[in-house]
Amino acid sequence: MKIKSLSLAISSAAIMAFGSFLSPAYSAGKDITIVIAEEPDIVDPCEATRSVVGKIVKQNVAETLTEINPDDGSVTPRLATSWKQTDNLTWEFNIRKGIKFHDGEDLNAKSVVKSINRALNPKYDCEIRTKFFGNIKLKASAIGNHTISVKTETPQPIMPAMMGTMTIVSPNTQEAKGVRNPKGTGPYLFNTWTPGQSVTLKRFDGYWGDKPEVENATYVWRNESAVRAAMVKTGEADIAASIGVQDANDPKMDFSYFNSETSRLRIDITRAPLNDIRVRKAMNLAVDLDGLTGTIFPKGVVKMTQIVVPSINGHNPNLKPWPYNPAEAKKLVKAAKADGVPVDKEIVLIGRLGIYPNSTEAMEAIHAMLTEVGFNIKIKMMETAGWLNFLSRPYAEDRGPALQQSQHDNNNGDAVFSMFNKYACKGAQSTTCDKQVDAWIKEATAATGDKRRDTWRKAQKKLHQEIIPDIQMFHMVGFSRVNPRIKFTPTISTNSEIQISQVKFN
Amino acid sequence: MSKYLSKRILSSLLAVAGLFVMVFFLARLTGDPGHLYLPIDAPVEVRKEFSEKHGFNDPIYIQFGRFLEDLSEGNLGYSLRKERPAIDIVLEAIPVTLSLAAVAMTIALLGAILIGSLAAYKPNGLFDRISRVVSLTAASAPDFWLAITAILIFSVSLGWLPTSGIGGFPYWIMPIAILVIRPLGLLVQVVRGSMITALSSDFVKTARAKGVKESKVIFKHALRNGLLPVITVAGDQAAAIANGAVIVETIFGWPGIGKLMIDSIMQRDFAVVQASILITAIVILSINIIIDIAYAILDPRIRHK
Repeated sequence: MKIKSLSLAISSAAIMAFGSFLSPAYSAGKDITIVIAEEPDIVDPCEATRSVVGKIVKQNVAETLTEINPDDGSVTPRLATSWKQTDNLTWEFNIRKGIKFHDGEDLNAKSVVKSINRALNPKYDCEIRTKFFGNIKLKASAIGNHTISVKTETPQPIMPAMMGTMTIVSPNTQEAKGVRNPKGTGPYLFNTWTPGQSVTLKRFDGYWGDKPEVENATYVWRNESAVRAAMVKTGEADIAASIGVQDANDPKMDFSYFNSETSRLRIDITRAPLNDIRVRKAMNLAVDLDGLTGTIFPKGVVKMTQIVVPSINGHNPNLKPWPYNPAEAKKLVKAAKADGVPVDKEIVLIGRLGIYPNSTEAMEAIHAMLTEVGFNIKIKMMETAGWLNFLSRPYAEDRGPALQQSQHDNNNGDAVFSMFNKYACKGAQSTTCDKQVDAWIKEATAATGDKRRDTWRKAQKKLHQEIIPDIQMFHMVGFSRVNPRIKFTPTISTNSEIQISQVKFN
Repeated sequence: MSKYLSKRILSSLLAVAGLFVMVFFLARLTGDPGHLYLPIDAPVEVRKEFSEKHGFNDPIYIQFGRFLEDLSEGNLGYSLRKERPAIDIVLEAIPVTLSLAAVAMTIALLGAILIGSLAAYKPNGLFDRISRVVSLTAASAPDFWLAITAILIFSVSLGWLPTSGIGGFPYWIMPIAILVIRPLGLLVQVVRGSMITALSSDFVKTARAKGVKESKVIFKHALRNGLLPVITVAGDQAAAIANGAVIVETIFGWPGIGKLMIDSIMQRDFAVVQASILITAIVILSINIIIDIAYAILDPRIRHK
């Protein structure tokens, strides 16, 4: 019997020893591993506004002229030290002196202008242009060794904020998009890219700013949230930038943070019965947002009152979320029906698979809530490509009434990046057309300071109280898992960038 | 035999060509991929300009003409998303999947032959009954659940194996184990069935009557005859894995062709869709030809036909 027990003990020990022989080497010393959800298909800094690219490249390899403070949306210096508006069409930016790119070239006005022209060249479809600069006609010129002027055809009072998206690359960078070894001024050199496996960055000892603690950073990618969470748990990774709420179950490692996304159901207010304001009010009153919080949506989400999150310039803090009042909703539906509004008409609820965690369950819950108060709703869940066909103009002329599940991201400091697109008469995703709102959008876009902020707020109020173009849902939270050996706090920017220089060791 | 093989190869190439053309048209039926390449908030004018620049607005027959012209120059297209030739991307991915498939199928086939033969030796015996239940369960088990459970047990709880990724021997254990389970379960059933038939045949009775050793009876005489249906099923399973061990590649982060194909379909990256389907079709057709050759080797009646 003793021999049997001894044999068992020896076998178990041997298995454990063999097992640990098989286990991988983990990040050690001053190196870290970051696991993200998808592989970057490109690492060109002119695509750094895409989150998968930005998390690797933005402010690590290539820096921007200015930077948006994630706490309050204010604009702070980065490669530009100061700026001023010389007339309503022109801004001047002073470029920081004494900085070199990773390939030894000088950062100066000429190299900045070259970088801007490259990013905004219509030949290359860089996302910096397609997302933020769009149709703005802009001319950048060097007017001194370290001063540039940026002149536009229409007033752009938030040009300093827009330059928070403009990543600056070495003048030796190839013209066409698709550079695979970007050279910037950031604290990290782009070291290696093994397609399908990893990207590594290496600390740049010639960096102009404070020396970061992390020496080498390796990015790997895993689609499955449970695997990303497991990697940090086992020590194979140090940061899982985004994990699902169902995997964020370790309070010692997991952080929730506002991820700058706002989720809503866009109402097509041009189609009956949705063109009746009582119907739109009823829909908002029918949705139990408290019931959805902590169940289908994670705890920590904040009920939305407008498209922009509180830290964005133009957010109106005086608006209140819709209460849950199904009895009142039913009354409104009944009243509309009595007046001949076709409330029984089938309304399609267009959902997008995977737009956020539990997106299908969210639509099923809302379907039930709207049906409860008397609407006839049909859910249509689609993959992204199909969903996109309904999102933007041109809309099908023969379309029926529809609600569309959508999510909007704006962590760029100002409501201008949201309002025109979503609510202007000619906005790419707008189903609303109100002359007053349009006038305010135009006015705010050209204004500065308090006037700008207050004009946005007027527009938000009218949308919230008189037009009601959305079923308002939540400002969303994301979850990150962080290895206790490092100090890193996710912020609203973590969705779009992970600054390795901000990571410290415990 | 060589005439037969030449005919097979020719008809296979025709099938590949037909598939390629079909994929071209089917992919473009899904509409303008500009929506997916550009940010959601891109203005209408920018979208229009993008579509015009890349010819997505052109009539389908003009796009097809351009496609044939590129093909005649050996150009399988350019990935707009990855800014690289599509064929380069596909040729990086296919060896990953082929390695997984080759190792998994070798283990599955050898394991199935051993287990299935021993089970067939004493039908309805204890070993047979246990192996039937286990193989049926294995054939029905969902890959996704198995993979995540394996990670939670062997990586997170026990700390024995890495969670995921590509590397040395430890990184292969879980992905291969997951890939082996279903084909092993299926093949055990097939081997068992065909070996029971073979072991009850006249030539086996004759061999036993002549005093041939039992192991030789099973693994030489009976197995050779029992292998024909097994080869067919094994070929199907190998083709299924070669077509993309999508779940294993996705969960364990292996950059194989399955994941690449799914991603490129979702992203409407037409060039990569076409190139990956072409290469995968060639691999599957090659597997079919190998099966035909194996048949001919095993069965002299087919060789001499």
